[in-house]
Amino acid sequence: MLSNPSELTAQTGSMQGPSHWSPQQQTARMLALCEAQMEAATQDSDQAVDTLVQAFTELVSIVRDMGKLTNAPTPAGEESAAPGSLDEINQRCTALSNQVAAAIVAFQFYDKLSQRLGHVRYSLSTLALFICDRMNSQKPEHWEKLLLTLGRLYRTTEERAIFDSIAGSLALTSSEAIRPLSQANSHDGSIELF
Amino acid sequence: MPSVILAVDDSASMRQMVRFTLENAGYEVVQAMDGVEALDYAKAGNADLVLTDVNMPRMDGITLVRELRNLTNYKGVPILVLTTEAGQDTKMQGKQAGATGWIVKPFNPEQLLATIQRVL
Repeated sequence: MLSNPSELTAQTGSMQGPSHWSPQQQTARMLALCEAQMEAATQDSDQAVDTLVQAFTELVSIVRDMGKLTNAPTPAGEESAAPGSLDEINQRCTALSNQVAAAIVAFQFYDKLSQRLGHVRYSLSTLALFICDRMNSQKPEHWEKLLLTLGRLYRTTEERAIFDSIAGSLALTSSEAIRPLSQANSHDGSIELF
Repeated sequence: MPSVILAVDDSASMRQMVRFTLENAGYEVVQAMDGVEALDYAKAGNADLVLTDVNMPRMDGITLVRELRNLTNYKGVPILVLTTEAGQDTKMQGKQAGATGWIVKPFNPEQLLATIQRVL
């Protein structure tokens, strides 16, 4: 995979001077721009999500510790807290625990998202290089080969559903291709022991 | 002594979620960023269970499973694959490499813990 968009620009030429101008190189330039924007956005999001997850897990740990403290017996000679307020704290801690599992599942969306964006970025880079190859990009069989290569990237059920719909014989529009997602998501969280 | 779980994932947020879930259930968690780092740990120390992603730089999860099964002290250790991939082909590769089970992300904490308890 091309890790740096400038690498793509270097391989497809600078595309600045009129002597190098061609529709293919300009298309490659636009694709490199898209790829660079996606990479930058993903890197920014990586840091933000890591911080968010870290803050979330620490907050939950603190609240759990507080819950344990309220259940600990009061040392002899010390005045215990009002029973009503302890019950209230316990109820809140229980409610929080119930939400933690749901939040952990929801947080994992980002891992899936960044993986899928990575596949799209790779596709854009590969396409940009391909169209600059004037010999091969004129041959339909090489386009088929490219499609097969890129198709191997899309391995999650959701990605496959979209790829098959768009690139397969059905040739649906992008909005139509997104419809099978509710079925594709049925694999989420599935567990199989061999 | 708590059981030691080696959690392998290149995503920092995923490692954090796995660590949080497992440590709250009383397990000791060792983290690795990819197959190479996990294999280095496995050669030097023992884990009671390995939980690994599939798509990682340097060494993917399927190769890691295969390499771990070649180590004498990991022949009988449960290895669970935790991945976004649900395709039968990749799952079959994991099974043939010696994985104990296959979990599709996103994981549900309670179900993950129940599965770990079952295979440990």
